[in-house]
Amino acid sequence: MSRMVEDQRAGIQVSRRGFIKGCTMAAAALGLSETMVPKLVEAATSPKRPPVVWLHFQECTGCTESLLRASHPDIGRLILDIISLDYHETVMAPSGYQAEKSLDDAISGNEGKFICVVEGAIPTKDGGIYCKIAGRTAMDILDDVGSKAAAVIAIGTCASFGGIQAADPNPTGAVGVTKLLSGTPVINIPGCPPNPISFLGTVLHYLTFKRLPRTDQLGRPLFAYGRKNHDQCERRAHFDEGRFVEQFGDEGHRQGYCLYKMGCKGPQTFANCPAVRFNDADVWPVSCGHGCVGCTEPDFWDTMSPFYERLPGVTIPAGGRGIVDAATSKGKVILGAAAGAVGIHAAVGVGKKIFGNNEDE
Amino acid sequence: MFYERHQVWSVLLRLFHWSFVLSIVTLVITGLYIHFPWTNTMVIGNSYFPVATMRYIHFVAGFVFTAALLVRIYLLLFGNAQERFWDFLPITPRNIKNLFKTLGRYLYLNVGHEHRLGHNALAGIFYFLTFLVAAVQVVAGFFMLYPESVFWQKWGTMLFVSQQQGRGIHYLIMWYFGVFAAIHIYIVVWNDIFSRNGLISSIFSGGKYISEDY
Repeated sequence: MSRMVEDQRAGIQVSRRGFIKGCTMAAAALGLSETMVPKLVEAATSPKRPPVVWLHFQECTGCTESLLRASHPDIGRLILDIISLDYHETVMAPSGYQAEKSLDDAISGNEGKFICVVEGAIPTKDGGIYCKIAGRTAMDILDDVGSKAAAVIAIGTCASFGGIQAADPNPTGAVGVTKLLSGTPVINIPGCPPNPISFLGTVLHYLTFKRLPRTDQLGRPLFAYGRKNHDQCERRAHFDEGRFVEQFGDEGHRQGYCLYKMGCKGPQTFANCPAVRFNDADVWPVSCGHGCVGCTEPDFWDTMSPFYERLPGVTIPAGGRGIVDAATSKGKVILGAAAGAVGIHAAVGVGKKIFGNNEDE
Repeated sequence: MFYERHQVWSVLLRLFHWSFVLSIVTLVITGLYIHFPWTNTMVIGNSYFPVATMRYIHFVAGFVFTAALLVRIYLLLFGNAQERFWDFLPITPRNIKNLFKTLGRYLYLNVGHEHRLGHNALAGIFYFLTFLVAAVQVVAGFFMLYPESVFWQKWGTMLFVSQQQGRGIHYLIMWYFGVFAAIHIYIVVWNDIFSRNGLISSIFSGGKYISEDY
């Protein structure tokens, strides 16, 4: 490999150091040994790597933005460099008929070989007329492109589960990719936006091992969505001890206490945010003093809101006051009862002395 | 054979005994869990908090243990004749004599038996030792429960230097209580069989039975 990995199509350059670094980050996210990094690098630079078609439906392009505008530019460039991106409406040069032609070119002759990335939900109501590109409905495009792909990666919560479009009352009947596509393996990388590392890890896993990573029941890769945010949270100890932020800006907030009472949905949310973090600045919402809104979960707009209120169903030991405080107040009662018993004993003893009714003698 | 019933243990002492027993059993079980949480760590996705719950129970039981100990210390000074410490500690000629007699009896040496209403001097030594050990245990416990408290820091660092050493000693003392319980129950049953004074029931009813033969 030359010192600079060049991508002629996009004219993007990634330094070798940045390239290896990105592959190493993805290997770490996947839970792979560092000895696997050369294999990832080899797979990522193989000329036979599969082309990628990136479809945009009902979405805000936030997922693409989060990839491209990562503060560490290498991640976004690395992704664009690793995958032979043949069609991506946001970043490609052609438009109009030329754009349509590049989609056709990417698919024809590559049936069953290319990867299809879907960003955004697909409206199904009234024949899917609420999202049309080049006169075709999103349903039609997905059916056409998705069924010919080797695998589909649904990036973002919209493509995975419908996202905000599918929120009640879901006027356009929006759904995620898995609801519509059968026959093609689909993997979901939900999040609003998802972590670019999770996407990169999934792509590199596919390129290296020729198959998608293991997933949970919701089709999310276990390496990124295998554990709850709550169980990896740096503020977890405050939860267990019952030290909560009661109001934004209060003393507890300044002390970095648990945001559970401010509506944090970390206990219900499977993601790798506390471990992998965002923007190459080691941040995620909770580290900035804001609760998790559960954006990687299905129907999170409906089930996780109101975002600033607690959810029922998470029982905190000792009624949420913190076990030390609760044990302290219980302890006061216990010690008080003991003092009372001693007091009664002493009073009876003194009484017997005074009234001379001492049976012990 | 004619037996005469004597009231030996006050209500407060019996309350002490049983709250001490229950708190020790609870503390040992929850304490062992905190030391080595044995539940299945692979269960994820449920909002149950085994460690926090066990610690909470441990703390509450610790307060019961402390309260019981304080009651017993009060009774050492202000209890009835059998409950006060000078009745059973080998600090009087009578008790020193009893200590050797009890040792001889437990070794099945025919040295004669002095029947006592309260504790014998050998038991007395170990009960007193147990109270001292329990006090150390309580200090270690509160040192760890309130690590930021100046009061407990003062006592804790004086006795154990660091949290880690306090924790280690707290753990070792747990085994003292286990060993104590095993020997205690063995000797109580032994005495119930060979002394025939209703020793076991005395800790429920407060009364012992002394035969005229003695």
